[in-house]
Amino acid sequence: MIELKNLTKTFDNFTAVDSLSLRIETGEFFALLGPNGAGKTTTIGMLSTLLLPTSGEIYIDDELLTRQRKDIKRKVSVITQEYSMRQDMDMDEIMEYQGRLYFIPVKKIRARTEELFEFAGLTQHRHKTIRKLSGGMKRKLMVCRALLTDPEILLLDEPTAGMDAISRRQMWNLLRQLNEQGLTILLTTHYIEEAQNLCNRVALMNNGKLEEVDTPANLINHLGAYAVDEMQTDGIHSSYFHQRQEAIEYLSKLEGTCTLRDTTLEDVFVEQAGKRLS
Amino acid sequence: MGIRTILWEKWREFLRDFSRITLAAMIAPLMYLIVFGWGIRTTMNGQPYLYYMIPGVISLTTMNGSFNAIAQNLNVQRLYEKAFDQVIISPTPLWQFIAGQIIAGSLRGLYAGGVILLLVLPINTGLTFNLLTFVILFLNGAVFSALGIVVSFLARNHADVPRFSNYFIMPMAYLCNTFFSTDQIPHGAREFIAALPLSQTSRMVRSISVGEQPNLIGIVILLSYLVIFTAIGLYFVYKKKNL
Repeated sequence: MIELKNLTKTFDNFTAVDSLSLRIETGEFFALLGPNGAGKTTTIGMLSTLLLPTSGEIYIDDELLTRQRKDIKRKVSVITQEYSMRQDMDMDEIMEYQGRLYFIPVKKIRARTEELFEFAGLTQHRHKTIRKLSGGMKRKLMVCRALLTDPEILLLDEPTAGMDAISRRQMWNLLRQLNEQGLTILLTTHYIEEAQNLCNRVALMNNGKLEEVDTPANLINHLGAYAVDEMQTDGIHSSYFHQRQEAIEYLSKLEGTCTLRDTTLEDVFVEQAGKRLS
Repeated sequence: MGIRTILWEKWREFLRDFSRITLAAMIAPLMYLIVFGWGIRTTMNGQPYLYYMIPGVISLTTMNGSFNAIAQNLNVQRLYEKAFDQVIISPTPLWQFIAGQIIAGSLRGLYAGGVILLLVLPINTGLTFNLLTFVILFLNGAVFSALGIVVSFLARNHADVPRFSNYFIMPMAYLCNTFFSTDQIPHGAREFIAALPLSQTSRMVRSISVGEQPNLIGIVILLSYLVIFTAIGLYFVYKKKNL
């Protein structure tokens, strides 16, 4: 279980995260969503102790998280937005270094590395240095590295950024499997579809503040499960309806190109952003 | 133990870059020895100047070897590769990371100094280097490794480490009892320069090399620098809010 209590982080005069309070249950798949600068990465930074909070606390299984708490840190693995790997090491060295940092016996590191590389299709590239790997391969290696330590909590900051559509789907399947095995997952993403497909709950953040926390289905239903898109000269205008019949009636009165479809989490996100702009 | 992990990492790095590390350790000191010792043939206290210079060059080589092994590397890991993030995130106690870096840096300095010692071995200088010499050189390396950690954390970009080297490490290499005695420096500056760690190391190593008893207060001074730089390094990793 992860609990954030009044978490605040300021950089000089800028407040990146503002009194964030949140509770993520064990085994939950949770996403932080928000526009650029919402405070998602800063929140992950504090959860991974890369950044220390200006005020507020983080609890993991009711224990206060600090940089000194190795027992708590052992439970957590982080996939950062940047590759965060030594460029001159090869894949085997990256895995061994990670395992050693987590005090895993070398024999176990090597056996687990075999399994993970096999699973991720990286075996044939294992002797390549990191600087020679493609972006997708580096991402896969980061996942292998994070799983090497058998974490209870996985923090992912934009895990599929830069991945092609197939690799992204593979990553989703993998994360879903891991969550089904009991791993608690917290991710930040710009792909709203990713959050909608994978997560039990999502939090919408803006300007460092939490705006809403709910299941994707509830957020969608709250807006209206059916959307009608009208093509107008200045772009697409969407209207939302709770009942399908209402949407059809509205659609029948319209002229020009229009479509009826299911509302998505992205609509919720765009509507929230629209409200803020107006 | 986290220290072993860091030593393993630095050992792998050493094996990967063995030839580059060895060449880099040799070039500058070899030039000093050739130009000042062999090219400009002169004497000091009735002895070839080369004999005076060798202890200083070995001391400055351990300083450069240790500082460069840690400062630039850690700076790149922190600002460019972000590999240092994984250390912070991991359960490895950060004091063990610092201790590992200091020991690894000292060993790299000692290796660089050892290479120079091997190079001057064929010259029959009659200079003595014993176990205490290596203890002092190791301590000197530890001081400059710890300084390297501090500098890498203070650096805001990649140019900051070479800049620090230019402003502080290079002047020390020339002024701290290496090529001439600090006794020749004007009063005021003399006391300051004599108190610097490389001055202490050069003085002690030179004393041992000519069979004199070194003033062991130098070891206390080196230990003091080591404690101060290590404490600053620990402050950074445990207390700095934005690493």
